[in-house]
Amino acid sequence: MSPRTITMTDALHDYLVGASLREPDVLQRLRDETRTLDGPARMQISPEQGQFMALLARLIGARRVLEIGTFTGYSALAVALALPHDGLIVACDVNEEWTAIGRRYWSDAGVADRIDLRLAPALETLAALESAGEAGRFDMAFIDADKPNYLAYYEHCLNLVRPGGLILVDNVLWGGAVADPARTDPSTEALRALNRTMRDDSRIDFSLVPIGDGLSLARRREA
Amino acid sequence: MTTSSMFLPEHLYRYMIDVSVQEAEPLGRLRAETATLDQAHYQIAPEQGQLLTFIIEMIDARRGLDIGTFTGYSALVAALAMGQAGRVTTLDVSDAFTDIARRSWQAAGVDDRITLELGPAIDSLDRLVSGGQGDAYDFAFIDADKEAYGAYYDRAMVLVRPGGVIAIDNTLWRGRVADPADRRPKTEAMRSFNSMVHADHRVTPVLVPMGDGVTLARKRG
Repeated sequence: MSPRTITMTDALHDYLVGASLREPDVLQRLRDETRTLDGPARMQISPEQGQFMALLARLIGARRVLEIGTFTGYSALAVALALPHDGLIVACDVNEEWTAIGRRYWSDAGVADRIDLRLAPALETLAALESAGEAGRFDMAFIDADKPNYLAYYEHCLNLVRPGGLILVDNVLWGGAVADPARTDPSTEALRALNRTMRDDSRIDFSLVPIGDGLSLARRREA
Repeated sequence: MTTSSMFLPEHLYRYMIDVSVQEAEPLGRLRAETATLDQAHYQIAPEQGQLLTFIIEMIDARRGLDIGTFTGYSALVAALAMGQAGRVTTLDVSDAFTDIARRSWQAAGVDDRITLELGPAIDSLDRLVSGGQGDAYDFAFIDADKEAYGAYYDRAMVLVRPGGVIAIDNTLWRGRVADPADRRPKTEAMRSFNSMVHADHRVTPVLVPMGDGVTLARKRG
């Protein structure tokens, strides 16, 4: 979510995008269509963040990925394109209308068979995966959904990714609201709580990257 | 170089550091000592060191190449992140700065993991290339004289293995790269370096707006 790195000047952000973005045509078209949705378009990740996530997937040779919050499918598509042919993304969302847009582009890009969309509350899907014996079977997870549930999503992801696997969490700087004590709405408080939890969590290696709206990187340590 | 992520307002930057940076004690001591130097801004920001640590652990790196030692922070980051089996080769021309580096590595008990080559980095890199070290490194970190970045990158591309990472510091160059009126040699060098990496299909790159801008490029297999 959030189309550009916060507080960077427009000119510098334009430069960064111009000097570093390699966005495949199909992703650009998906971004263009999502922009016509007006209000919710800001829920899409920035293209440079998509490129960063694809790089991380390649760096760890990810094959199985879990996504919580699919929206119109940009991040799932960006990562799916970085997976091997037998790669799989389990994508969780509750909105049929938005994810239908994503499905069209996944088909256009020839990666629809790599994305298993589960339309249901993510907490139910995550619990179902755990009951199905999927704990420790994912290489990477991406959390970009309703903020009050972030802590719960994070705990499930720590269980579902393998040791050495990655958990990426979006919007951790929340447009700067997390640093403003006057902001006490549930989403801001939930992000603050998660940030503190991750900082102090000895189960992970950690880095907070100020790309997009803030992306936390966690690597599950070997037990 | 640069001591903070300059692309965030101060209060948000402080928040980010508070919830994300845990600088190991030897790194904190070295930062404090380096802060007394006029050139303190040559040192990378602590959050950059943490990102480097993260990437080194993520790709399970064992051999690292550090181009531009200064007072030894990034070499120390790499040595600590790779553990006992790790080996870092670090290149610099300055006796004075690298004396500080050597002392900090000794104090941290990792000096046996770090080889310092004093002399022009290009010469050292060419020696490594001709000495059969192609594909021998898991990652390289470039943070030295800006006009030579292209030459360092070319050598790093030979020395780093497929699937390995080349990290390059200062690629947003305090924002000057985005100002068309700025034609200073270092600004121009950084711009043309960025264009070259962008067009180089031997790598998968990303420009991360952390610190003064750090580009991460994965050498394709």
